[in-house]
This record gives sequence, C-alpha cells and structure tokens, in this order.
Amino acid sequence: MKLTIKNWTGVATWKWVANDDNCGICRMAFDGCCPDCKLPGDDCPLVWGQCSHCFHMHCIVKWLQSQPVNQQCPMCRQEWKFNNK
Amino acid sequence: MASASTKDSKIAVNYWDPLRDTDSEVLSATASTRIRRDLMTIFKDPPPGLFVVGDESDIRYVHAIIVGVMDTPYEGGFFYFILKCPSDYPIVPPKVKFMTTDAGRVRFNPNLYKNGKVCLSILGTWTGPAWSPAQQISTVLLSIQSLMNEKPYFNEPGYEKERWPGDVERYNEILRHETLRVAVCGMLENECHLIIPEQLKEIMETTFLQFYDLYMETSKNKIDLDGKSYTDPFGAGAVVTFEYAKILERLETIRGNLAKKHAIPVDLPLTDGEGSDEKDDNDE
Ligand SMILES: [Zn+2]
Ligand SMILES: [Zn+2]
Ligand SMILES: [Zn+2]
Repeated sequence: MKLTIKNWTGVATWKWVANDDNCGICRMAFDGCCPDCKLPGDDCPLVWGQCSHCFHMHCIVKWLQSQPVNQQCPMCRQEWKFNNK
Repeated sequence: MASASTKDSKIAVNYWDPLRDTDSEVLSATASTRIRRDLMTIFKDPPPGLFVVGDESDIRYVHAIIVGVMDTPYEGGFFYFILKCPSDYPIVPPKVKFMTTDAGRVRFNPNLYKNGKVCLSILGTWTGPAWSPAQQISTVLLSIQSLMNEKPYFNEPGYEKERWPGDVERYNEILRHETLRVAVCGMLENECHLIIPEQLKEIMETTFLQFYDLYMETSKNKIDLDGKSYTDPFGAGAVVTFEYAKILERLETIRGNLAKKHAIPVDLPLTDGEGSDEKDDNDE
C-alpha cells in the first residue's frame, strides 16, 4: 500500500521519545551527538533507563563508571537500569 | 585557627578548595561545552540576585556574586564565590570557595566557613543528596542562596530549636551588621584586595546605589546597638561589636565616590522611578 500525505496538521513534531529535548548530562540536543563525538546518529546512540529517562550512551556510561556503587539516574535518582525493550 | 573541617580526616584537608586545586588536566569536550551552556542559562534568564562571569583566561573558573535576598539578614550584601569545574565536569561537581569572609575572619553562615569552605551536600562537603550531573552551576548557586535565608541559625545540625531564647534574633543581628560592614562596605572598598572581575564590580556598584537608602535606613535603625557585643554562636568564640556609626560614614563615603565616578548628582534620591520602563531593556 502506498499513501501520499497531502495535508497534515501536526500537533507535535516527532522527536525521540524522551523526557526532554536535551540530554540531562551534557545538555546537548538529542538530535545531535554528545560533545565528545563528531557526528550524530549511530555512533552516539541514545539509551533509556527503566525510569524512562534518556541520555546519550556516552554520557550515561561516563556517569555510571564514576559511581561504583549505588548507580542512580541523574534526573530522578532512582536506581539506574537500562531499558532493553 | 581553622579548627573546623578536620572531620573529613581521610580526605585531603583542602579537597574542596578551587584555589588550591592542582588539577591541570585538559577539559573534556563535554566539560567545556557544559560550562558554556551553564553560563548561557544564567545569562539568558538570570535568577534574581545572582550574577556570574566566566574567567577570561581559564574557562574552568566561574566568578559569582550572590546578592543577599531581601528580608534576610544578608539583604543587599555582596557575597563573592569562585567556582572551578573539574576536567570531567559535570560527572564531578565544581569546587566552590566563598571569598567574602573579611580575610578569613567572618563565618557568615553555619554552612559558610570563614576559610571559604561551602558546606553543601551536592558539593560533597555535607551530608544529604549528592551531586548529580543533571545539576549545573545555577543549581549550586541557588542552593547556596537558599542557605542564606531568614533564619540561618537553624541550618546548623542540633540547632533545630534555639539553645537560648533570642538566639535566632541575636544571630541575625550579628549577620546584618557583618553584612553591611564586610559584604557591603568591605566589598565596595575591596578592603581585602580580592581580584574581582570588572563586570561584577560594576554590578556591585550599581546595586549599591540602588540599595543605598536601604543600607542607610537599616544602619540608622540599628544604631542603638552600637557598643554592644554579641558572641557568634558558630564563630568559635568570635565576638562582634556593633559599630553602625562607622558603617554609616563608610556608606556615605562610598556613595560619594561612586556618584563622582558615575556622574550622579549627590543630592538626588537614587531610588526614584525604579522599574519605570515598561519595555524590556535587554540590550546588555
Ligand atoms: Zn549527553
Ligand atoms: Zn557521544
Ligand atoms: Zn530517571
């Protein structure tokens, strides 16, 4: 089936399903990459926690590595678990 | 002398001090971008009473003035802080030093030691919720501002109630006097020879002129305290003797000098027409 959209009234533009437009750690927009990367996209993926907060993978991994015990989400301080759905 | 802060015996004594920090590592790209973003956030939408400038020669340093909030004993005072962001900021919190201490003589708050240590859980210098990389420079400064509240006596653990009736008010009297003596007159005269960035000096000068009548009124209202001495409950025996007459003189001198510098007629009231312009003047 092929559809041609002729008219579309958006109530919201599509974005990553994230809680905010920016990564809570580096504060860069999710449609770009983290400041330590050069190109957005697969090289700098986004990851979600079970608490539903989203970060650049590079950013959250740096944070988790700095927390040997008690790894918490930077946003909500719940225990951090990757959401692997 | 500095008997406080030895509790953290397993960590280096000055681990919190940005001016004794020897970290010379290059900032990560994330750290330098984040510091700029943090500053932009404050420039774009400045929280009341909070002024920051980045260091011109080293992006890791941030200079901040917190103006004491109205109806607190700190009202109208200029409290200067230096922050240093580590190379892996924001994974690790900044280090903060409080500079308005009359050269290490005044403890302005149970959480602001006279050696400049700022006791705040997000800085890792106090118990309670630790730093999270979702926090930023404005979070740190706003948390410090909230320590400088109407009744800072109660900040000290174990002082949830007054030890002696009237303690809270006596402590506030001490802070009010020291605010005018050290954080207003002392800062404007720069008697401690702090190296304060020009932009912050200008902010202090214009704010001083706006608040001048308030400073004078407070000092006149409190002049009956002159000659009395109160012991600072958190000052390790430090005694404050009230000298509002001297403060009044200093305020007048400072105003006279600023009026010359800014070419303001000295005999005109300065607080007239405050906030009269309806339009946004954000052209600075
Ligand atoms: Zn990020
Ligand atoms: Zn990345
Ligand atoms: Zn979360």
